[in-house]
Amino acid sequence: MRAHLSSEQISRWMAGDCTPEADRHLRECPRCAAETARLKTLLGEFRSSVIARSALEKGAEAPERWAPLAPKRRFTSGALRWKLAAAALAIAVIVPICKNSGERRRDAEAFQADVQLWEAVNAQVSRSVPMPLEPLMKLVIWEPDAVEK
Amino acid sequence: MESTRAELQDFEEVVRLYWQGIYRFVRASVRDADAAQTLTQDCFMRAYSKRGTFRGQASVKTWLMKIAVNLVRDFGRNRRLQFWKRLNASGIDPGDVSDHLPDAAISLEDRALLNEQVQMIWQASRSLPERQRTAFLLRFVEDMDLLEIAAATGMKEGTVKIHLFRALHAIRGRLRGLR
Repeated sequence: MRAHLSSEQISRWMAGDCTPEADRHLRECPRCAAETARLKTLLGEFRSSVIARSALEKGAEAPERWAPLAPKRRFTSGALRWKLAAAALAIAVIVPICKNSGERRRDAEAFQADVQLWEAVNAQVSRSVPMPLEPLMKLVIWEPDAVEK
Repeated sequence: MESTRAELQDFEEVVRLYWQGIYRFVRASVRDADAAQTLTQDCFMRAYSKRGTFRGQASVKTWLMKIAVNLVRDFGRNRRLQFWKRLNASGIDPGDVSDHLPDAAISLEDRALLNEQVQMIWQASRSLPERQRTAFLLRFVEDMDLLEIAAATGMKEGTVKIHLFRALHAIRGRLRGLR
């Protein structure tokens, strides 16, 4: 019989990396077979203890009733989806139009104000005498011929 | 495949059947009872919302375990929880685990040695890298075979073997130190 399996070979075998040679050796060598059996028993005890320990915890109990959170509402109706799309499109079209008409109205009012201001300035500039002197001018009888005589 | 998919129709039954196994794996992985409960709930929530995409190529247990493995991985990566995790690191006392060893007809001396060895396995598994620990717990606690572990972790079968080998070798090294 060949030498015993190395620690590494036993770990490989336990990990599922079984070679025909290792299998054959374990069938024929009581010492290596005992070592793998001891390891299996120990891991089995570890498993049992973890299962027993976690089973006692509150979190290990499955909920009485499974109540998943309500899924996010989705639009299942095709018609509703189309209506919403149409509404969004309408808003997208109407808002700029309303915005433009408002701007046009404001422009027209500003133009009117400018015209009125222009006319007022024009009237002031075209006076023969300043406005505060106008009452005095009414007292003076302006006769150009008389001055020449 | 169809029967596997049909199993998901009664989700309450799925929860009842697999809750404990998922909780046990998560609990052993994250070492915190509250976090384990939350992650187990998250696992079933995720499974419920994705049940339509389940193809039935793996068993329901493997599919659920895959979700749990991902959740545990995300939990480990979440740095915000690292401090909290460390704070609760002593949540499971290894002594508690060995206290629950089944009563077998063994001598007190042997039982004491067994307790000590089980404690040592628990502590050693705690210090394993994440993938090794996951493979180890799925194989030796959840009793899943290599192909199931590969499906649950997204690793190749050969990679699973390597992680299992390294985990076992490290644990056996710790056990040798005990003798």
